[in-house]
Amino acid sequence: MNNVTQRDALFSRLYEIARSDRNVVIVAADMGAPALDQFRIDMPQQFVNVGIAEQNAILIGSGLALEGKRVYVYAISPFITLRCLENIRVSCLFQGIRLTILGMGTGLSYCTDGPTHHLLEDVAVMRAFPGMRVVNLSDNQMAAAYVDISAHNERDVLYIRIDKDFYPDVHKPGTDFSRGFVRLRQGNDLMIAATGPMVHTALHVADVLATEGISVSVMDVFEFPFDPVAFISDISEVRKIITLEEHFLPGGMGSAICETLNDKERYLPVRRVGLSMTQGYKPSYQYGGREVTRRHYGIDQEAIYRTVRDYLKN
Amino acid sequence: MGEMMKSIESRSEELEQRSHDLGCRMLQMCIKAGKGHVSSSLSCLEMFVALYHGRILRVDPANPKWEDRDRLILSKGQASPALYTTLADFGFFPMDWLETFTQENGKFAVHLQHDVPGVEITAGSLGQGYGTAAGIALAAKMNRKLFMVYAILGDGECYEGSIWETAMFASHNRLNNLVTIIDRNYLCVTDFTEDLVALEPLDEKWRAFGFNVIRINGHSIQEFLRALPPLRNRNSTKPTVIIADTVKGHGIPSMCFDPLWHGRAPQGSDADKFTNEIQKRGCYE
Repeated sequence: MNNVTQRDALFSRLYEIARSDRNVVIVAADMGAPALDQFRIDMPQQFVNVGIAEQNAILIGSGLALEGKRVYVYAISPFITLRCLENIRVSCLFQGIRLTILGMGTGLSYCTDGPTHHLLEDVAVMRAFPGMRVVNLSDNQMAAAYVDISAHNERDVLYIRIDKDFYPDVHKPGTDFSRGFVRLRQGNDLMIAATGPMVHTALHVADVLATEGISVSVMDVFEFPFDPVAFISDISEVRKIITLEEHFLPGGMGSAICETLNDKERYLPVRRVGLSMTQGYKPSYQYGGREVTRRHYGIDQEAIYRTVRDYLKN
Repeated sequence: MGEMMKSIESRSEELEQRSHDLGCRMLQMCIKAGKGHVSSSLSCLEMFVALYHGRILRVDPANPKWEDRDRLILSKGQASPALYTTLADFGFFPMDWLETFTQENGKFAVHLQHDVPGVEITAGSLGQGYGTAAGIALAAKMNRKLFMVYAILGDGECYEGSIWETAMFASHNRLNNLVTIIDRNYLCVTDFTEDLVALEPLDEKWRAFGFNVIRINGHSIQEFLRALPPLRNRNSTKPTVIIADTVKGHGIPSMCFDPLWHGRAPQGSDADKFTNEIQKRGCYE
């Protein structure tokens, strides 16, 4: 288990890059972080705080970026995405502005903060825009690596989803993230394609199934769009897929995989597992911790294990 | 000083005539295309002519991306016909490009496009260009650049909350290299602003947000030429807003004070009538 969050891993790497590139600017909407404190102290001229004004954060960021700054807009994820969609579309994407959006606390990260702070639709929404790259972090290796990737980005808007919890690393240092997915484990009976925090759940479920003699492959799918050709080629031996995401199903990671399989005429059985929509947002009003809220949405660890088992039987 | 004033007066007279000429040209462009926000463009034409032909802006038509140019950000993107006509007249691109307004293979849509020479941003969704302008002004300070940023807002655009997010930001960050000009034409799509949701006292609002406020007649080139040049000296740390009182459809009496003409280009007998009216105001060509 890492003793720092994805956010701090990301900001530590960004600090190093910003020290040697004064064009790196963070635009924050009244957001801090332990690893950001040193940044603010050492490089106050590269840190802009706009206050609780996310739309303005995007707009100010677009102006800075037009003048050659390498901008990182940092705010609580639902507010910097859903609230600012049209600002991102008009003031960044239309004009080919390179910019990175750091969305803090995606999915059910802010579990007990209640529904306003849950973000369960953004992968669907954000990946609908051309020129947008949606990145769903699963560990600290990836968090740091995407700072380097963003530092070489010249034309796209990167939207990086940052989870609030502590996780162990699942990727090795030096992992190539360029295809948008990485196979973490090989297996014969089924592949679980997971994204974000669900990668850890997938690995856990695979471990449990291994003790039962079932061999499950696990893939981390973290960037949208991912490389479709590489994806099809990578899954040549796979016969069945379960997709796993802490997100509503329409337009999410599972949808992205189904779209790719369909468009490439690789017809495989796919079961998508994500947040149930049958109760609307009611599960977001269930408190007690992330796993409790997940249980009400139907994707706690136990439910996922059962779903995978059932799917194997079919 | 007297000589200087006289010179501004005589220049203003020439430039007001030029505004009328460009108004005629712009009207013809919109009539031909059957598109374009004619009335919203006529309210800010003198503003553009003062900025460009009045030599307020430091820009180079031969080098539109010159690094040290002043940036003009037209946030009320529906006034693109006024800006496009002025840019063509100022030499950013040939006048005959205007023939392609909203046409296939042309450069121009009804609202503003960033890929037109001399244009900085794409606009049309109100309330956004202003924040971009403030970001550019902040970058200029960070990069120790001396250029100025001129943001043109519509008065109706001031209903957008993001305008006030940016206004707070601009004064807090002492963006005295940002000049905000509001085209105060008092008219939106459906109604007069003061009957819709009152904007006045607009100057007090901006003053409360930390701005120097100047209120002028937005159809007087002379008033622009007096108000704008001193702002480059940055004698105050405050940003400045110029509230330019204007008339939507200025120059075409039948178009003024009628919300009907928002977002429309006249056709048929209206086109003839409006052309006749605008020409009577002293247009020659």
